[in-house]
Amino acid sequence: MYFILLSIFFPILAGLFLLIHYRTPLSGEKKNAGRKSLLLLTGCSLVITAVFVVIALFCEGEGFILFYLTKDLPIYFRIDNVGRLFSALAVIVIPCAGFFSFEYMKHEEREGRYYGFYLLVFGVLNALCFSGNLITFYLFFELLTMSSMPLVLHSGSKEAVMAGLKYLFYSLCGAYAALFGIYFLYRNCDSLTFTVDGALRASAITEHGTFLLAVAFIMLLGFGVKAGMFPMHAWLPTAHPVAPAPASAVLSALIVKAGVLAVIRVLGMFGRDFLKGTWVQTAWLCLTLITVFMGSLLAYREPVLKKRLAYSTVSQLSYILFGLAVMDETAFVGSFLHILAHGFIKAALFLCAGAIIYKTGKTRVEEMRGIGKEMPVTMWCFTIASLGLIGIPPTGGFLSKWYLALGSLNSGIPVFDVLGPVILLVSALLTAGYLLPLSIHGFFPGAAYDYGSLQKREPCKLMTVPISILTTLSVLIGIFPHLIIAVIHMAAAGR
Amino acid sequence: MIVTVILIPFIAGILVPAIPFQKRWQKEVFLETAVVLNSILVWYLLLHHSDSTFLLAHFTGNLNISFRVDGMSMVFAGLVSALWPFATLYAFEYMTKEEHENVFFLFYTLTYGVTLGIALAANLLTMYFFYELLTLVTVPLVMHTLTREAVLASRKYLYYSLGGAAFAFLGLIMVIVYGSTTDFILGGVLDPAKTVGKTNVLLLIYVMAFMGFGVKAAVCPFNSWLPQAGVAPTPVTALLHAVAVVKSGAFAIIRLTYYSFGTNFLKGTWAQYAVMSVVMFTIVYGCSRAVKETHLKRRLAYSTISNLSYILFGAVIMTPLGLVGALTHLVFHAVMKISSFFCAGAVMHQTDRHYVHELNGLGYKMPRVFGIFTISALALMGVPGLAGFVSKWNLAGAAVESGNPLAWGGIACLLVSALLTAIYMLTIVVRAFFPGKDFDYSTISDIRDPNWKMLLPLFVFTVFIILFGVYSQPVVDFFIKVANGAV
Amino acid sequence: MNFICNFPFFSILLSLFSGTICSVLPAKAAKIVNRVVIIVIGLMSAVLLLYLLSTGESFIYWMGHFPAPWGNEIRAGVLEAGMALFFCIIMYLSMAGGAHKLPGEVVESKHNLYYILVNLLLSSLLALVYTNDMFTAYVFVEINTISACGLIMIRQVGRTIEAAVRYMIMSLLGSGLLLFGLCIMYDLTGHLLMSNIKESVGLIMANGEYQIPLIVSVALMCIGLCIKSALFPFHAWLPDAYGYSTVSSAAILSSLVSKGYIFLLIKIIYRVIGFDIFNSTRIIDVLFVFGLMGMIFGSLSAIKENDIRRMIAFSSVAQIGYIYMGFGMGTQAGMVASIFHILSHAATKSLLFIAAIGLTDVSGGSRKLNDLTGAAYRNKWAGAAFTVGSLSMVGIPLFSGFISKLLFAQAAVQVEGKMLASLIVLGISTVLNAVYFMKTVIRIYTSAADTPYMSITFRDRKPYTVTLVCFILLNIILGVSSQPVVDMIGQGLAMFA
Repeated sequence: MYFILLSIFFPILAGLFLLIHYRTPLSGEKKNAGRKSLLLLTGCSLVITAVFVVIALFCEGEGFILFYLTKDLPIYFRIDNVGRLFSALAVIVIPCAGFFSFEYMKHEEREGRYYGFYLLVFGVLNALCFSGNLITFYLFFELLTMSSMPLVLHSGSKEAVMAGLKYLFYSLCGAYAALFGIYFLYRNCDSLTFTVDGALRASAITEHGTFLLAVAFIMLLGFGVKAGMFPMHAWLPTAHPVAPAPASAVLSALIVKAGVLAVIRVLGMFGRDFLKGTWVQTAWLCLTLITVFMGSLLAYREPVLKKRLAYSTVSQLSYILFGLAVMDETAFVGSFLHILAHGFIKAALFLCAGAIIYKTGKTRVEEMRGIGKEMPVTMWCFTIASLGLIGIPPTGGFLSKWYLALGSLNSGIPVFDVLGPVILLVSALLTAGYLLPLSIHGFFPGAAYDYGSLQKREPCKLMTVPISILTTLSVLIGIFPHLIIAVIHMAAAGR
Repeated sequence: MIVTVILIPFIAGILVPAIPFQKRWQKEVFLETAVVLNSILVWYLLLHHSDSTFLLAHFTGNLNISFRVDGMSMVFAGLVSALWPFATLYAFEYMTKEEHENVFFLFYTLTYGVTLGIALAANLLTMYFFYELLTLVTVPLVMHTLTREAVLASRKYLYYSLGGAAFAFLGLIMVIVYGSTTDFILGGVLDPAKTVGKTNVLLLIYVMAFMGFGVKAAVCPFNSWLPQAGVAPTPVTALLHAVAVVKSGAFAIIRLTYYSFGTNFLKGTWAQYAVMSVVMFTIVYGCSRAVKETHLKRRLAYSTISNLSYILFGAVIMTPLGLVGALTHLVFHAVMKISSFFCAGAVMHQTDRHYVHELNGLGYKMPRVFGIFTISALALMGVPGLAGFVSKWNLAGAAVESGNPLAWGGIACLLVSALLTAIYMLTIVVRAFFPGKDFDYSTISDIRDPNWKMLLPLFVFTVFIILFGVYSQPVVDFFIKVANGAV
Repeated sequence: MNFICNFPFFSILLSLFSGTICSVLPAKAAKIVNRVVIIVIGLMSAVLLLYLLSTGESFIYWMGHFPAPWGNEIRAGVLEAGMALFFCIIMYLSMAGGAHKLPGEVVESKHNLYYILVNLLLSSLLALVYTNDMFTAYVFVEINTISACGLIMIRQVGRTIEAAVRYMIMSLLGSGLLLFGLCIMYDLTGHLLMSNIKESVGLIMANGEYQIPLIVSVALMCIGLCIKSALFPFHAWLPDAYGYSTVSSAAILSSLVSKGYIFLLIKIIYRVIGFDIFNSTRIIDVLFVFGLMGMIFGSLSAIKENDIRRMIAFSSVAQIGYIYMGFGMGTQAGMVASIFHILSHAATKSLLFIAAIGLTDVSGGSRKLNDLTGAAYRNKWAGAAFTVGSLSMVGIPLFSGFISKLLFAQAAVQVEGKMLASLIVLGISTVLNAVYFMKTVIRIYTSAADTPYMSITFRDRKPYTVTLVCFILLNIILGVSSQPVVDMIGQGLAMFA
């Protein structure tokens, strides 16, 4: 249990230290020396934290209460399987993207600030995964927004600042909507500790059933903001592209997933039996499907690569939410697989995009003809990851979508049981439409292309290795899913 | 004993211009000693209070001026006396740049006594008396700079406050006529035998008195004096217009609602719905005005307007839990807002910048001030782990528990307001720390953090913000006892 | 019959005689005589008051020992004696406070005329207070009018003459109506002595005959006195008369003269018509409505006013409105509140007039609010006094105004139908009072950057300052220990019936 605490507070303290110690920009002669120590510190912290997390993952235990916020609001940490899976994702993606940024952020002035907040985000994410009750979760959910916002507005350009603020306000809006629900849950549950089969008192359901449904919907919408669910998705395509690429990777792969994690928890608190078949489920299904379709469509029309990826995130996250909204165990497995698969894939894709920007400065898709010849490793990873996102076997993406569709068809919800898979398929087609052209043109620029202008621009190992790791993992999930699926089933059962 | 703590500030204040101090530090030492001594006395008094009433003078009939320490007065007097020494310390430094120091400190210290008078009053009349007096002794503070703006502001302040008191007076009359006594008794003093058939009139008068006292607590539509009064020196804006004066309004309303009219009489009536709607509207209105405002202190003043209505919202839920929420926010908001105001004052003192858009990049030059400002901003937003969350939690908890659908809507207002709070506070923080790519740092090169006299209060308040945030249990327990009349 | 019972008669006669004597005395001696007379009468009233309090009964004094219906009667109760005492105090303080201005305002040769008028005024006021005979009352009303008119006109500048003419016309209209009413009353009852009339009125009411003429008569008397005491909407004469006359005159006129008429009205209500009969007519409703309107419109006019003395004068309209509102409530409590307000307003208003002159003195004699900027710094005592007066008017606890407000509000609550209206108007009127008084207070405490005017300190003008201090004390005494006064009023009213 100490490792839980260490995995949370070590990176937070390290991050604060970096923030305070490197508050003035590095420049001049000292830059190299200062940078070296900064990177050393960051690297060590990342690795040490990762070790702590891994050890914590294998801890078993009842969880423990850190302290009481007020008499009946404990700050409570606990490891369960949902948290384990999320944390496993985080512990891989964050160090990868972190090492990637060592190269990517080389020319930035205020690196200290960046890494400081980066470590904060790491710690807060761990805390989020290990939270044992709603209030602890909410605490770190807010902190996540606060600590990740500086990553978005890191570049300091006007656009970035506006995007950062937009991100902040959307997120807070969602968080407060959720808080509204928490107030009511608190009164109508015996405790706010997470469960999977509903914590509402029976008397509360009979008395305020209708109102509590509305509360559930508000909470879902609120946490859905973080997960980019329509109609509050607008921050996502604005905020993700302006952040530095490794930060976008973390945002897309992990931070938005905090919203998903929240939705899973809330679903558990209300209980599937309470929500199933109600208008809340119907409305929620509608919203997710709209988001899936709309996100893909917008991505398809988007010329800027990082923005395209951001829209893609909107769409893919709603796959997950759709799976949750179906409230069927198979679909739940699909959702969870998709969380992992999409996490790895999207991180890889954003890092690839970052590598391209870093090396060539090109941001728009049409400029990237022949890029595969210049940066073969990067583009191969990009292609494999794209295939995963589209859902070609044997990648993880295929598996997750398979389960999602299966779960939906099994669920027996009128109309949506068929409509869901159809839209998922259409969206998969669109995904192919917006991701594959890049690979195709990248490797086959066409006969008219001036091959003479090509030069070797493969980035250094610090960039390619993290990308490769993430890509490999995304495929591996698809090939060896059994252990994960077993864990997911345990998670669904609340163990 | 009770009267002593009210008198000491009076005497000390009057002595300030009377004693010919040779050096400034002598005056500082004198005042600080007096204030600290008085605060210690107050705390001693609160901790060793007896239940007896101290009768100072008969007024007319059965009305009298008397003092007593009960739960509510412990909360308010404790709060005020804890904050005053720090604010005085801060004022010493701040006032180095202002004129007429003596007059300022005279009234500043007088206000201390008057506020304690409000807190310790044993009956409605005594409170009303000190309430009026508070208006009068604070006007010179608002007028302090004697600029046209300050004069207009103080004029408005006077009109609003005295006008409000005129309507609050009607409430007093009702309690005198229909109550069994004017003393504060938890649960109200209205005599059911006398009120038969007069319910609606009494409710109407209650609403009027609520709005009357609400003027000081800046309830919409009577809030416009507060931002204008921001022309006063920052120690005044911070302590009086974020704590002492405006909280006196809230305090008076709580007294009126819980201790005079009584919640049993008011709960569930149209009057409760009326005042609750007003309060809810103010919560949102204050925040949205704050978002639009670009003058730093005025923005904070609008924020105060909204936050005061949080307190009132708790009060008009009219359950013991609601009172707990109100008291929590009364105390916690005081700490948070005074901290943010002092930061604003420090910025103005060090840089002479008053508008939000002038704050670009200052975060790197005044890291301590802006660090503290950030913490207070987060606290005001209600981030868990800081004081604001606890009070908001208590308020919302009370609202949910009351089962009153309008109060549930009030929760939504609280949250909308929290979002707006984030907008108006965090944009300042973002500006200070992320001034933009092409910001020219040489324009602010000679700016630095203020000296210890300004920073010490800030640090102390910050410690309290965090302390209340993570460990509020003893305080909240005490509030619960107060709300149940167990103190 | 105790010797003290002669005191009312003595005081009336003394002031009348001193007035006559003053005409042959030089100005300085006239001043001394005047002061001494006021003091002596004040002392006599005080003794009388103590005596009455100790006996607890009122007495009737037959002039020349002729019994009714031939003789003329004087009646003295606690209320009358208290009122006389209070009038003397205010009169003395007002004279003292305005004395230093007199040489500048009135030509040297007319000084003894001035004192004659003051003495006459005092005698007529005392007579109004004490008399038990309607016709005597009417006669002294006229004397009062004439002397007041003279006091206004004696400062011979254009505006005052105009004001005096206006005052004269309105006042005579008022006394004319009073006379009409009196005539009808005499026709109906055949009596002029108050107690006799009351008996007959009781009979008439019991018989159910001549109801309408009776009410008409009462209404005429009421309206007449209302005009003379400047109840809204009959207040047009007031601002000029108070605003432009000499300081002492303004103070006396505003605080005493109108109050004398109001006191007469009270006497008529209680002693002539009977409180219950009066309350059963619709007249009190009319008074009530006019009172409320006066409270608001008087204040509104004061807000618009830019001349400090006219502003204070308009404020009187509002305050008179308070008093009539108290009448209009038709309860004992309302009456007590009104009478207390007579006292508190008299104390406050004369203080304000006297303080205002101190402020204008240090502002080059200008009465425009603009020029008064910072005046309180130049004349600290006047500034403080003005502030106290203002706070009292606004109704801040500690000062007399608060008590009257308290009494009014408490009285209002007991009257079912009029409660809300009066409470709300009370609130609004307080707000309005705050607006114009506080505006002025802030104005005089706003420091003017470079002022050409000289400052005045305590030493420069001792008597004046002492007067101010006395006024302030009077206000605070009324505000802090009001209970004895209120008790006395209650007792006095009980003796009336």
